[in-house]
Amino acid sequence: MSTYDNQLTEMSEEQFRHNQKEKKVLKTLAHIGIYTVCIIFTLLSLIPFWFMISNATRTTSQIYGKSLSLVPSTHLVENYKALMKTDEKGQASSSGTQNFDPVTGFRNSFIVSAGATVLAIYFSTLTAYAIVVYDWKLKRAFFTFIMAVMMIPTQVTAIGFYLMVFRVHLNGTLWPLILPSIASPAMVFFMKQYMQPALSLEIIQSARIDGAGEFYTFNKIALPIMKPAMATQAIFAFVSSWNNLFLPSILLSSNAKLKTLPMMVALLKGDIYKVNMGALYLAITISILPLFIVYFALSKYIIAGVALGSVKG
Amino acid sequence: MKRLIATALCGIMTVGLLTGCGAKDNGTVADDPSVKVINLWSFTDEIPNMVKKYCDMHPDFGYEVKTTIVATTDGAYQPALDAALQGGGADAPDMYAAEAAFVLKYTQGDASSYAATYKELGIDVDQKIKDAQIASYSVEIGTRPSDGEVVALGYQATGGAFIYRRSIAKDVWGTDDPATIKEKIGGGSGSWDTFWKAAADLKAKGYPIISGDGDIWHAIENSSDKGWVENGKLVIDPKREEFIDISKKLMDNGWHNDTRDWQDGWFADMKKDGTAFGFFGPAWLINYTIGANCESENGDTSYGDWAVCQSPIGFFWGGTWVLGNKNSKVKNAVGKLIEWITLDTSETGLQYMWANGTLNGEGGTKDTVASGTVMAKSNGELAFLGGQNMFDVFVEANKYANGKNLTQYDEGINQAWRDQVRAYTSGQKDRETAIKDFKQTVADTFSTITVE
Amino acid sequence: MKRKGVSYAKWGYIFSAPFAIGFLLFMLYPIVNTFLMGFTDMVGVAKLTEPMHVNPAGIFKVYNDLLHNKTFGKSIVTTFILWILNFIPQITVALVLAAWFTNDRLKIKGKGFFKVVFYLPNIITAASVAVLYSSFFQYSKEVMGPANELFMKLGLIDQPMDFFVNRSATRWIVIFIQFWMWYGYTMIVLISGILGISPELFEAADIDGANGFQKFLYVTIPSIKTILLYTFITSLIGGLQMYDIPYLLTQGNGEPDGAIRTTSVFIFKQAFGNVPSYNVAAAASMIMFIIIGILSAIVFFLMRDKDEAELHKLIKRQEKEYKAKLKAEKAQGGK
Repeated sequence: MSTYDNQLTEMSEEQFRHNQKEKKVLKTLAHIGIYTVCIIFTLLSLIPFWFMISNATRTTSQIYGKSLSLVPSTHLVENYKALMKTDEKGQASSSGTQNFDPVTGFRNSFIVSAGATVLAIYFSTLTAYAIVVYDWKLKRAFFTFIMAVMMIPTQVTAIGFYLMVFRVHLNGTLWPLILPSIASPAMVFFMKQYMQPALSLEIIQSARIDGAGEFYTFNKIALPIMKPAMATQAIFAFVSSWNNLFLPSILLSSNAKLKTLPMMVALLKGDIYKVNMGALYLAITISILPLFIVYFALSKYIIAGVALGSVKG
Repeated sequence: MKRLIATALCGIMTVGLLTGCGAKDNGTVADDPSVKVINLWSFTDEIPNMVKKYCDMHPDFGYEVKTTIVATTDGAYQPALDAALQGGGADAPDMYAAEAAFVLKYTQGDASSYAATYKELGIDVDQKIKDAQIASYSVEIGTRPSDGEVVALGYQATGGAFIYRRSIAKDVWGTDDPATIKEKIGGGSGSWDTFWKAAADLKAKGYPIISGDGDIWHAIENSSDKGWVENGKLVIDPKREEFIDISKKLMDNGWHNDTRDWQDGWFADMKKDGTAFGFFGPAWLINYTIGANCESENGDTSYGDWAVCQSPIGFFWGGTWVLGNKNSKVKNAVGKLIEWITLDTSETGLQYMWANGTLNGEGGTKDTVASGTVMAKSNGELAFLGGQNMFDVFVEANKYANGKNLTQYDEGINQAWRDQVRAYTSGQKDRETAIKDFKQTVADTFSTITVE
Repeated sequence: MKRKGVSYAKWGYIFSAPFAIGFLLFMLYPIVNTFLMGFTDMVGVAKLTEPMHVNPAGIFKVYNDLLHNKTFGKSIVTTFILWILNFIPQITVALVLAAWFTNDRLKIKGKGFFKVVFYLPNIITAASVAVLYSSFFQYSKEVMGPANELFMKLGLIDQPMDFFVNRSATRWIVIFIQFWMWYGYTMIVLISGILGISPELFEAADIDGANGFQKFLYVTIPSIKTILLYTFITSLIGGLQMYDIPYLLTQGNGEPDGAIRTTSVFIFKQAFGNVPSYNVAAAASMIMFIIIGILSAIVFFLMRDKDEAELHKLIKRQEKEYKAKLKAEKAQGGK
């Protein structure tokens, strides 16, 4: 180290200045490149939302004439009324039955997504902890097994799953959409991969010496260290559960009170030839809003520039 | 077993209720009086709303209707319905709906065994079909081949006609009269020859006769003598095979605008500045598609500039059929609902109100209905069609439509066929390869179809 | 209280028990069911509830047929093409972005904003994404569609083209959509891995005078190796089961001409088509499972933990050599 320092001081002042200048130019160039890339990606990420919001203010006829428009129109209130069936105008279903009920939809979607996410996060971390921290005979086999389960294509197993649910008459309840996430192989895999370098076994050892029980150590020491991993996985789990449509449609439809938001949106498409497109886009926008809120609430873990997980404060 | 219980229960109840018990003359079993709920499965709120209307009109009906609506958009309706039919129990559907795209599976295909015959539901179906003049294609689709019994009927008529633009007709032939235009395009002739002559006339004035090749497909599909599959073998009917040449001809001659259904270009042809002469479609295409999209951004509209005449070849497009579950414990009650929806020709029946646009009060959308009898006594004049009575055309159109050349495989095979036709038409491959690849795809996609 | 020398092994069993129970209750039956279906003659919905029995045409009949099924074979190739071509740019871009956003020296303003925004495409449902892109790329003779308008203005094409009859155009659209939907996700996963690295490692590298690129190569990459493994494996699994965009973008059977018919689209058509061939769908799933398993095993082998020590040594040696080189260079420059 000292030789290195010496070399630095040996450098002539002129050269030092020159280097600094060069560095500055390079940095500016790098910044131009970085910001250009970032701005392009930002536009690519945001434009779809703009199209969606813009279409929520347009009429069916306008949308069918030009399916994408950057310029919003003036029919937002009309679309809202049609969506909420407060007005019999336009192509809205002429019935009094309300398909789109955002409050109920939000409640159901939230119970399912939050429930599934919490269970998946907690039990996946716990399972990963079992694999990383403890030495037990079947550990390797167990991990290999989890990996294998993760690799099975899900489409055909879904058939077996819903048939099973129908057979035990759990259809029409939210449980079959929440409870299975206790066993989330991909998330266990992530937690294990993250935990391996992040969690030092010495800390656990010292906790044990201090007389902490195993559950206590897990809840009070391991979980805080896993926070960034849990936050990112929570976002992914919540989003995918929220957007899930196929299984909820099959399992929940028989109970009219248990429709999720995406199911309500799907029903708006109903008869392809009688869709109120503006109201549909408004519904899609509304159904995404809660996701935004959850995402932004959890995103501080993504934004933070410091290692939240580190034990050092 | 279920019947046994039902009969036993019936026996107990006889003391108090002498009526409505025991087997009726046509083999129906009385409803289980302990069941007061009818489970209704559908993919839109159309039928549920009809049933609600029925209950409002018949306060003494005495059943609560529990509705399950699953959207077809993500493919969940059929698996959910199948699982519910198989699962049985108190939640099982008593009454369910099937769309044209997959109705064959429930009336003739592997799920047809769940369906109750209309007779079992207590409907005097043969006589009623005659009285109501139900279109034959609708009955053909709803008839189960294993016993020749009717298990499903529709309420909406989806027989198709040619919907054309009056102003273009005047420009090319000097008249917009439906009778003359019918002659010009060979309406009802059973062949396309005259239609191509009209296409050439129109092209000379700069108008393509249709918007895209998808428009003509339904008519061609429906004109064939044989369905796609016979005795487990793939059959390519010459009339369906001809579609590949027709599609190419339309493209090469500029007889269409090369649009696709439900895309901007297609809708543009419905507006005032649209250049395509016409569309092939049933009444719903007029009411909900062209009618809903006739206005441009700047307020220009093609409203009133349309008329309908007979298509060269009859066809139908879309529609919903209603079925009852053979395991239902309330078959007679279900039968009452289904009869009111599909076969009642009175002025208090569903179809009369539907045809005259009075289901939800005066001034609603007038739609074509399954019963010719009802349409005959209803007013089908539409301002959108320049005051033409569309029922005149659509009653005929329903008669021409064919329900015999359909199979439960059609949706998937049509998809594969049109894909290959498009590949040929757009110049991606030659005709022979396209047909070969089509056969290969069908053989590989449906393990139960043999392809030679 | 535990006495010293007590074995903690039982806690391994206790902590993994909920997973095991969840698996037994909810996943075992569907998986066994899928496994068995491939050996039966289950075709058509009515068969679903009947008791299973061995395929009278031979227990391996379905597997045998599948091996000769050209459409299935092509779908495997298609799946690989679509996956590899979107995964390479995806992981590259994600790594670069993750490196930028975790490099404090670059002082990128608004990086928090960028990080959050880049994940957003993943929030929209695939159905909406598909509608959006198919509208964007639509074509007809008179109404050319937004993509054609844009490309014509940019001078990329001379006349409007019908993207969705062109096999390679459609493939590139799917590849782009997959990239666009998932690079943000991958970036976030990588960033979360990088944030888990002890800051001391970076401090040490700083003291050693490493520049941003060197730190990325010699500190970041080795430290997130476990997370990289996760990314590779899950992307492999997700990519080879790619389904919703290829299914939803065109008519639903990988149009045009099977250009985007992935194996999952094939399987879906078998399992939920007009006349479902459950046995074929199940057997095809099992074949995909085996392919994914073998490839995952290879990835695991290439990135295996056993090598970690050796790799570490290698890195150390390279670092030393590098430092020596630096010294030599500096010595020269000082002259």
